[in-house]
This record gives sequence, structure tokens and C-alpha cells, in this order.
Amino acid sequence: MKTLHTIRHSRQLWQARYSPCGEFLVACGYDATIQRWNVAGEEPVLLSPIEAHNGWVQGMCISPDGERVYSADSWGRLSCHELRTDNPQQLWTQETAHEGWIRALAISSDGKQLATGGNSGVVRLWNSSDGARTQELSHEHPVGALSFHPKGRVLATGDLKGIIREWNLDIATEDRQLDAGALYNDETKTKGRIQQCGGIRTMQFSADGQKLVCGGQKDPGGGFANGTPCVLVFDWKSGGLVREMPMGSTSDGFAYDVQFHPEGYIMATSSAFPGKGPVWFWRPEEMKAFFSDPKMANGRSLSLHPNGQRLAHLISDSRNGNGRPLKDGEYRGGEGVINILEFELP
Amino acid sequence: MASSICRLTTKTTTLKQNGMTHAPHPLCSTSEHQLSRRQLLGSAAAGAGTGGLGGLLQPAVAEELKRDDKQVIFVWLDGGMSQLESWDPKPNTQFGGPFRAIPTSLPGVHIGELMPHTAKVLHHTSIVRSVHTQDNSHSAGVGRINRGDPKNRGVVYPYLGSAVAKLMGPTASGLPPYCWVKPYSGGFKTADAGFLGAKYGALAFGDGKPPNNLLLNKQITAEENTARNELRAAFSERFSQGRSKDWTDANSYVFDVADTLMKRMDLFDESKVSEQDRDRYGRHALGRHMLMARRLIEAGVRFVKVNSYHWDSHGDNFNACQSLIPQFDRPFAALLEDLNERGMLDNVLVIAMSEFGRTPKINSHVGRDHWPEAWSVAMGGAGIKRGHVIGRTNELGTFVEDQEYDVGHLFHTWFRGLGVSEEMMEYDNDGQPLPVAHDDCFPIKELLA
Repeated sequence: MKTLHTIRHSRQLWQARYSPCGEFLVACGYDATIQRWNVAGEEPVLLSPIEAHNGWVQGMCISPDGERVYSADSWGRLSCHELRTDNPQQLWTQETAHEGWIRALAISSDGKQLATGGNSGVVRLWNSSDGARTQELSHEHPVGALSFHPKGRVLATGDLKGIIREWNLDIATEDRQLDAGALYNDETKTKGRIQQCGGIRTMQFSADGQKLVCGGQKDPGGGFANGTPCVLVFDWKSGGLVREMPMGSTSDGFAYDVQFHPEGYIMATSSAFPGKGPVWFWRPEEMKAFFSDPKMANGRSLSLHPNGQRLAHLISDSRNGNGRPLKDGEYRGGEGVINILEFELP
Repeated sequence: MASSICRLTTKTTTLKQNGMTHAPHPLCSTSEHQLSRRQLLGSAAAGAGTGGLGGLLQPAVAEELKRDDKQVIFVWLDGGMSQLESWDPKPNTQFGGPFRAIPTSLPGVHIGELMPHTAKVLHHTSIVRSVHTQDNSHSAGVGRINRGDPKNRGVVYPYLGSAVAKLMGPTASGLPPYCWVKPYSGGFKTADAGFLGAKYGALAFGDGKPPNNLLLNKQITAEENTARNELRAAFSERFSQGRSKDWTDANSYVFDVADTLMKRMDLFDESKVSEQDRDRYGRHALGRHMLMARRLIEAGVRFVKVNSYHWDSHGDNFNACQSLIPQFDRPFAALLEDLNERGMLDNVLVIAMSEFGRTPKINSHVGRDHWPEAWSVAMGGAGIKRGHVIGRTNELGTFVEDQEYDVGHLFHTWFRGLGVSEEMMEYDNDGQPLPVAHDDCFPIKELLA
């Protein structure tokens, strides 16, 4: 892996994604903004941010034509903005798309539908062109991740209790549940802790729709939230678990983002405490990862450039520590760092 | 210290009455407060098997409690609850996190959205948002905070519950003055008492259950039990000759306490509680334990500590808070409602706190670390005003901007609110004068009713 560029943002970020054309890099996070960079030239060029949110923006996606960016925040707002213009205009917004924290946002492969989910425990579908609500599905528990099946009107949603539900969107019914309980613990398993820990934090279908992956933490614990970053790979047709991909030790963190490479292997990034958590690549048919780099610590998201050889790897740069560490008399917060990596498969 | 000040002695001026020792109440004479043991046990026995406030105590005892016997419920959220996700939210700021702030029953005052039930009854408590303490580690911080962080005088100070047990003694109910409802194990926990001596330790009910083997073995008759106790007392008396009386006193005390508790087994019977109350408080451990705290207070326990563990959210703080804080919010609100409805908040001080707050900075593991610089404590009832917000942190919530108070100030305020006069704020530890609370601190006047 070779680092081509490092982009720093003064606040921590949750997600960074390339636009489908590869010309833009878009990020969102703790400061309620959408940050944009033009990455077509030699150096990334920071563009004007989109400021339309409150709290955290944890859900973000880009339309397949690369013209629009959709974003959802922790206060329940869902918005659509132009992506490519110098001063992006808001095209529509839903002020109260959900009651409270929207944790996940996905767009269908044809770009016509959006799905949102979060603390409210419901999943809502939206017309991406005008923001009209089209469907509501009751998930029961807070939703941590969701993904449209690439073929057909099917949605997979994953919650903070490790339950995956498959929804038939034609008739708005739940077809089945898949068990990702390995990513969840509650007080019955955590030696007296009263905390519900873990859950599904990221989810993605393979391009052919035959596999579903979800990420989180195996045997999660409370407090330090230590556990083993882990990705579960399901065969979508049978619903069976075909591979459990733990990476790191039991004292690490969460697999916060997972993506399929067009060649079929899985790319994931994870956090850890303190300051660990690798990027790793793993073929589902193999028993071990074929690449991991623990130096790229505290990962939050990764996004593959359309050329298939660059990766935008977002990490958090925010050292832990008790008390009042001041730098130059100032109490500083963490930053978001996006490393643009170039890689060739071994 | 002026010679006119009356010192509370730790070992010499305890009152012995019908086999039980009582510290003198600082405000009232013993004849006003200390009913005979027969009367107490009679009250307790009469109350056994009935639920609710009215049925727990004989009217005379209930009236006695209502009139002026101050009590305390102390909720300890071990590990450190985040002030930014609870009492002092800073939404839409650098360190504010994902959650919103919501309005409360106090006009203009907002708290974190994870506490909707408490928000509705916030006028029943006050918040100090400008607590600044000295220790950012659990190992030292828990003790320092629980002891009021007094100056180091070469002794181990008592925790708040033990101090109250010493300064105020049992209520007229005769029930043990310091009870502790906690997860895990129970038993008589002497460590809290510090230099006061083991007798002022906490009687802990592990998971709200009575101490093991509390009830008399059915094969032992009352006569046999009396004879047995007399023999034990004789042995204790002989053993104590030439030895420190601390441990023998404590030993006798535990037996006396057990004797009292044996007649109040109804307190440990959750079936005596309505389904509605169990729902209101929550069926989880903290809900059950806070409900039990209410029942113990209704029964006349002077000081009840409720512990909840594992609030130390160094990682995944916001999901941790989303899971944990509602488990505090619902029973805390129910407790305030119930005490208010029963007219008990005039005499019951309710405190909720941890050993520190959590860092404004969110670390790379999405956690918050330890932060003693600027955090919040909720308190209200007895002589402490309700419905007030004291102090202020800056816009980012990083540091105190106005009315900074250490835990020593809180201790002074609580003791004053409980009616412990300034003249009584000194222990006599076998001749060593020791301030009850940090001698450089003072009560927060704005909070005193």
C-alpha cells in the first residue's frame, strides 16, 4: 500500500465515499457537515461544504449518476443536495424523517429509492427524486445498517441486537431473519454488565447479490467496548453463514466498514483500543485474510475508487486519555484523516 | 477549632439502648427520637406483610419519620456517567455527540434526550453543572469522591453513608442506618466506615436479596435462640475485655441488625410490589434496586446507597449511553415522583452521581474517557432546594465557567441540608479532631432550602 495523499479534517468523520465517476470524494461525520474534495487532479482540492444538518451525519450515499448526495443525521433529518456544483443547492429535505438518530442510509442500484433506519426501530423508504415517503417497515430494534439487494426489490436491514431481516418491498413484508447474534451481547452474557453491546454496524451485498456481509464486533463488551472486529459473510440464497472473519484480538474494536472489491474479495476496516485496528482483505473461500495492515489504525470507512486501485481509507485521529491534556494551552478534539492509498493485489 | 464546638466522638459517646447502639442525633434529644426497641420491633412486626408506605410503619413511627427525620438515597453510577449525554448536554457543538437536548419541567433548562422521564420531573431535583474534582482515576477517585475528598490527615475517612450513619444514627424505625443495594454480593461491608469503625459499615443486599441465612433455622425455638444470644453476648463481653471494642461492637451490632431485619423480610419480597410499580421502575437490575431503595426509605432506613456498575464508557460511548442511561432515567424519575407524591421529598435527599464525568473529547474508539474537570451531580430533597441549576460550563462543556464546586462543597451542602449543624461538623477520633467535610469548602448557599 502506498499513501498518495493525506487529507485532514478538523473534526472526526464517519464515512468517506468516492463518487461513481471517481472525481469527487465526499465525507460526513461529527460536525454535521458534508465535506467535498475534487480528487481528479494531482492534489485533492477542498470544495465548499454542505451545511444542512445537526448532530452527527452518519448516513450518506451518492446517486448512481453522481449528481446528488443524500445525507441523514442523528437528529432525524434526511436531505438531498447537488454534489457537483460549486455551491450545492438543497434539492429536498425531510426535517423529521425519523424520530432521532438515523444511523444508516442506502440507495437502490437503480437510484430511485432510498432506505433509512436508526434508533426509531423503523425502516423508511423514500422516493429519491423528491423525498416523498413511500413505505415503512417495523424492525423493532434500532437499525444499525441496511443494504438494497442489487437485483430486485429486496432490502436487508441489520439491527443493534444482531438480527438481519429480509424485506420484500413489493408487498412490504418481512420474508425471513438471519442470525448475526455473534456480533451482540447483553447482560445475560457480559458478566453482570447491564449494557447491550455491539450489533450490526455495517452491511453490504456483493455486486451479484449472492453474498451479504455485515460487520461489527465479535463477543462485544461494554466499558472499553473491547472485542474482536469481525465480518460475517452470509450466502444470501440459503441464509447460511459461510464465513466468520475475525481480525485482531479480543481487546480490539469494531469492523466499521466493509466493501466488496469487484474481484470478489472483501475489504474491511476496524477500530481498536488503543490505536490499533487494521485494514484487511479476505476472500470468502479462504480461511485467512490475504492482506492486513495494522499500521492503518482506527479505521472508520473505506471506499474503492472506480479504477479499482485506489482506496480512500478514513481513520479517526483522536488519542484517548483521562484528564485534561492541553496542547499549547488549548483543549483539542480529534480529527478525521483520509488516506488515499494505491495498492496492487499481492 | 473553637472550644465551644461540640465534637462528635467516634468511639466514646455512643448511646446504648436495649442492646443497640445509637449515635446521638445532632439536632434532637434522644428522648424525642429514640423509641424503645420493643416499640420499634413491634412497629416492624406490625408492618410485615403489608405493602406501600402506609402499611410499612405504625402511624406513630411514620409520623416521626415524616416530621423531621432526614433520610438519603444515594445513587452511585460507578465508572462515570457522561454529563454531556445527561445533565449538561452541548448539542451541535464540537464535543456534543449525536444526541439532542430536550426541554424539561424547568423552563429554559434542557437535558439529554436519553432522559425523557427525568425531564418531566426535573423540578423535583436540582443539578450542579459545575463540579470540578481532583482525581481522574477510578482507583483513587471512587474513594476520594465517596469520602468528600477531605484533606489528608493520616486517617481513612468514611464514605458518605457511613458518615451519615454516624452523625445521624438510625431513624426511629430501628432499621440499620446504612443499607446498600447493589449487584453481585451482599453482606456487611465495613470498608466504607473508615476510621469510624466497622459498626458504621454498610449492610449490603446483593441484588436486593437479604443476607444469607438471615432467617432463623426453623429447628431452633425462640427460647433456644434467646439462650444462644445470651451466650454469644457473654462471650463477646469476655472477648472484648482488654481489646478494642470496634470489632466486638460491630459484631454485636450486626446481630442486632439481623434481629431487626428478620422481622422485615417483606422488604425483600418483590411480590409485595405492584406490577405497575415494577414496570415504572423497570425490571432491570437498576430499576429493581432503586425501587427497593424507595421501599427501604419508606420503611425507615436512614441512608440507602444504590450502586450500578460499568458506566466506564471508554469505547462506543454513545451506544453505551443509549443502553445505560434509560436504565437510570426511568427509575430515577419514578423515584422522584413517588417520593414527591408521598410528601417525602421534604425529608429525603436524593443524590445521583459518579466519581467523575467523561471527557468532552471523543476518542478514536468513539468513547469518552475520565473527566473530573467539569461534570454534573443531581441532588434534591430534604434541606436541598429542588428545581435549581447551579453553575455553568463553557459553550463546549470543557471547563467550568461559573461557580466551580468540589465534592467537599457538596458534602457540606448535603450535611447542612440533612440538618447537621455547623457545630457538629467535627469528629473526635480518639482525641484527634477531624472535620466532617473538607475544611476549605463550604455549603452551596443557593441550594439550601
